[in-house]
Amino acid sequence: MDTRKAIPSMFHRRLALLAIVFALLMVLLGGQMIRLSVIEGSEHRAAAESKLDHREYLPTYRGQILDRDGRVLALDRASDDLAVEYSVITGTWARSQAYVAARTDVGKAKWSSLGPERREELIAERMPAFRQRIEELYQAVCSIGGISRDDLQRTIDDIKASVQSSAAATWERQRQDEMQRFGISEEEFKARPIAAQTDAHIVLHRLSDAQTFEFRRLSQQFPGMIEVQASRRREYPWLTANVPLNRNSLPREIRRDEVQVITVAGVADHILGSVRDQVWAQDMERRPFNLKDGSVDLGGYLPGDSVGSRGIEAVFEDTLRGLRGAVHQRIDTGEKVRVDATPGRDVHLTLDIELQARIQAILSHEFGLTVVHNWQHNQVPLGTPLNSAAVVLEVETGEILAMVSMPTMTMGAAMSTDAERLATGPQVNRASDGIYPPGSILKPLTLAAAVMEGVHNLDTRIQCSGFYFETMKTRARCWIYRPVYGMQTHEALLADEALARSCNIFFYTLADHLGVHRLRKWLDNFGLAHVLDIGLTLRGKDGKVLWSDESAGQLPTDEEIGAWKDRGDTKFNETVMGIGQGPITWTPLQAANAYATLARGGVIRDATLIIDDPRGTRPKRRDDLNLNPRLVATAIEGLRQSVEENYGTGHHIKIEGEENPEVILNSDSVTTWAKTGTATAPPLRTVDLNNDGEINGKDGPGIKDLDHSWFVGLVGPRHGKPLYAIAVIVEYGGSGGRTAGPIANQIIRALQTEGYLPGDPDSPASGQGAPARQEPEDDGGDD
Amino acid sequence: MTQLAAHPSARPRTRYTASGLRTDARPLHQSLVNWANTGWLCVFSGVGLSMVGILAIGTTQPGFALRQIAHLCVALVAATAIALPHYRWLERAIIPLTLAALGLLIFVLIPFVPEVIVRPRNGARRWINLGLTDFQPSELAKIAYIMGVASYLRVKQNYRTFVGVLRPLALSLIPMVLVLVEPNLGMTLLFLPMLFAMLIAAGAKMRHILIILVIGLSIAPLSYPLLLDHQRDRIDAILAQMRGDPRHQMDIGYQGSRAMTLVGAGGWFGVGASKSASLIRHNDLPEEHNDMVFAVICCRWGLFGAIITWGMFSVFAFGGLLTAGLCKDPFGRLVAVGIVAALFAQMCINTGMTMGLLPITGLPLPFVSYGGSSMVATWLMVGLLFNIALRRSKYLARQSFEFDSMPQES
Repeated sequence: MDTRKAIPSMFHRRLALLAIVFALLMVLLGGQMIRLSVIEGSEHRAAAESKLDHREYLPTYRGQILDRDGRVLALDRASDDLAVEYSVITGTWARSQAYVAARTDVGKAKWSSLGPERREELIAERMPAFRQRIEELYQAVCSIGGISRDDLQRTIDDIKASVQSSAAATWERQRQDEMQRFGISEEEFKARPIAAQTDAHIVLHRLSDAQTFEFRRLSQQFPGMIEVQASRRREYPWLTANVPLNRNSLPREIRRDEVQVITVAGVADHILGSVRDQVWAQDMERRPFNLKDGSVDLGGYLPGDSVGSRGIEAVFEDTLRGLRGAVHQRIDTGEKVRVDATPGRDVHLTLDIELQARIQAILSHEFGLTVVHNWQHNQVPLGTPLNSAAVVLEVETGEILAMVSMPTMTMGAAMSTDAERLATGPQVNRASDGIYPPGSILKPLTLAAAVMEGVHNLDTRIQCSGFYFETMKTRARCWIYRPVYGMQTHEALLADEALARSCNIFFYTLADHLGVHRLRKWLDNFGLAHVLDIGLTLRGKDGKVLWSDESAGQLPTDEEIGAWKDRGDTKFNETVMGIGQGPITWTPLQAANAYATLARGGVIRDATLIIDDPRGTRPKRRDDLNLNPRLVATAIEGLRQSVEENYGTGHHIKIEGEENPEVILNSDSVTTWAKTGTATAPPLRTVDLNNDGEINGKDGPGIKDLDHSWFVGLVGPRHGKPLYAIAVIVEYGGSGGRTAGPIANQIIRALQTEGYLPGDPDSPASGQGAPARQEPEDDGGDD
Repeated sequence: MTQLAAHPSARPRTRYTASGLRTDARPLHQSLVNWANTGWLCVFSGVGLSMVGILAIGTTQPGFALRQIAHLCVALVAATAIALPHYRWLERAIIPLTLAALGLLIFVLIPFVPEVIVRPRNGARRWINLGLTDFQPSELAKIAYIMGVASYLRVKQNYRTFVGVLRPLALSLIPMVLVLVEPNLGMTLLFLPMLFAMLIAAGAKMRHILIILVIGLSIAPLSYPLLLDHQRDRIDAILAQMRGDPRHQMDIGYQGSRAMTLVGAGGWFGVGASKSASLIRHNDLPEEHNDMVFAVICCRWGLFGAIITWGMFSVFAFGGLLTAGLCKDPFGRLVAVGIVAALFAQMCINTGMTMGLLPITGLPLPFVSYGGSSMVATWLMVGLLFNIALRRSKYLARQSFEFDSMPQES
């Protein structure tokens, strides 16, 4: 071998071999060094330097929600809370303090030489003293905070349970994630403490000034265990209101010449919504605080932030949310850069909160109009409280002045039993999300469809035959063609009187001639089966609906129409659609919106809750239906006759034993154009008989043959144009005129009180003493 | 060929006994002590490294840096002391030295020794309290081991067979086990490079060595369950770090990940004294003055600093190997190789663990890390090396460790 000749000595060759091995090791080490310093150098530099950056983030204010007059409906208010360290809550604080005490007592040098068992003994000796200290702290907290020790314990146990369950969920997620990414087994997973386990947790909210002072002192006596935290609470100043209502214009049976002050709870709470203090994973995914490239989105979500969870708070979360401020300090140079916090932007609603509160008082059971009374002729037992909803829109702009749903969320939370909550469903916003059959309210729209499609001439009279189908004399009847009314019929009527008298046959005829497709098209034009997107629907970036309190209602689909054809009852179904029965449903909001569209002559300006929508303009459905002016005038005239002429179904109520009937709308200085509606309701069930958590068809037969009570129309100053659209529904209220009518009357007075309409709201009921009519006065709906 | 003196010196003639011939048959024109020797390379590189160490320690712990200067002075004195007598006296004292080392190793392990004398740290019994400082018997054992193996290989010639290679391996297990039980896994593992380097230098057949290495590396993973918890943790941590798994960065992998970050943060030329002090402090590097001092060097002086450090270690190794090559005495040759191997291997293990190539061990960086015991032990080895380099061979010895059949020139 050459090496033998080159290096004759074997020993020297072996030394050379060792030298080569050393050289190879150096190359290896050098290679890794180059990788770390040169190739990855900048990353490591950045990682090391990031520890020199001290960043602190400053809290921000959430934007306010205001009504149309600038009254603040929701705002952040600064408050102080008392928080207890999690280690104190779990008791591990005692152990760690005992550890430090033991170590100090024994001496650091000796401590390091002790074995683990001896260390444990020393710690265990000292722990009871620290546990006692925790108990002293709790006693002090209870005495300053004015709560019982049991209450405090309950709060503490709740916190422990919630943190443990959220830790378990987080660890499970992390375990799954790591098993997937790194292929480790389940036992290898190491659970790291989650943030909540190192934070302090709030045990007392909204301390008074005196309490804040005392607790600050206490936190110095018990250092490291409690702290007073400045925080922000979302407050809703208008949530509860005291509304004075004059009872002098109520129906005679409950009329009194006095002002009743009604306390309403949860004003507009369905609309305003709420915030939650818990940030969920999807919030942090949607808008993370720490971005992938290492920078920070100051508007991003961190645990502990409030997030809108329902209503305007949720739909306008991105608008209302503010940006945190930041103080960026370099530890080595000491330089500071400060970016101030940006408060969230405000959202302006079209609501008039005083009107809203007033209408809620009108709908309250205390006031009495939504409770079953004698004069309502309702099969539901007397005194039963009923659910209801009302909407008031401004015709010119489509702005919603009030939108009330009873019961409110707050009333629901205050209900004493779950059964009551299940029966009344307070979480539903009935005004925009409650779907009901329109009943006779639909008639003006049927007229509009028929005239615009050319199937009806406004000069043509139609004879009321009592029944529409020869073969089915008891179905598709006119409401007065009943034994109780002596099987009457209307004479040949023009459109306006047909509306006023609410003749079913007239509108069966129109619908029959229209056919389902054309009628459906026009109902669609008027906004049925559409979500109007008033500001209570939250859509994701892809347009998918994430949360909504708006229902579109329903019109028959092509499949359903096809099924009619197969069953052979197309004619019947499309005919009864003319009077708002059959497979049509809508919401009170859509009702008011449709009537407003009619009043505008077909110009579409769909209802909205938001002024200057920060989300930008809504895509419009279309601009103008271009309704025939004569049609509009006729329909409007028909509605006026309905409530202002004594043959109109909305004019008065006959009460047994009274000589003079009760005029429904008894305000002066205004003109009203409105329609009553008595719509067939599903059987009324209020008890979860089979205990399955729902009240539905499986819970017994319920009370059948009931109706929802509708009253929808327009109101304006006397001799003026319609300015406002009103829609009222009382669930299971029976006759439209008898139950919803008086409510609409009170709403008109409320509009007068708030200055929207002229006239004296406290004027006693006018229009009394009109002569009793011969004909029956209320429409009993269809068959 | 040795030349007989033309004119015998004025010294009285001695009897021509074998030992007498050995002591007298020396080249007269050469002195016994060679002041211009390759040992200076080791000394200068050692001093250079110690300086680097003092500066690096001073980055964050100026107090310790001053103390390290004191340790250096003590160590230099010790090195000088061990360099004074010819190393053959140490060779002759090998048996008592080995027994003393073993005795001390056993002594620290005895459970009922009072804690004044053997002070445990974190449950490890490694140190004997000498009042001013702590003394680690395992450091002494390292030196005794090198000399013991050198002596063994010089005497026995049968390590050319496979079984013969296994014998010293088996004998090494005694000190290894004693050190392992302290517990001190890092130091235990250091025995192997020393042994193998000396075996290779002594002429054991390469294929035997390779077979043993292959077998050893194959069965090493089986010992995993036998390890202590913290030792297993360190292996888990390094494996996780290599996979890029960030799970253990905050617990058992903390030291390793911090060290790697700081090493990389240095870049080409480092970030300078004050900046590196801030970075080290705020990145919370543990043990920055002893086990992790290489990270400080890389942070402060960058790749440049690392190369200088490694360069000086390479100069040291070169000097040591050169000493071994120039030395004609078999004992001296092997001791030199053993010392170079010990220090170089320790340097590789320490820098490797700092850079994330190896699991964290408790081995400090020779010359650089803070620690009196380590400094003194290291400089003792340098002193021994210098001792070897200093001496010229007195007698014509058969060229040692030459097993090839080429005729030798003297």
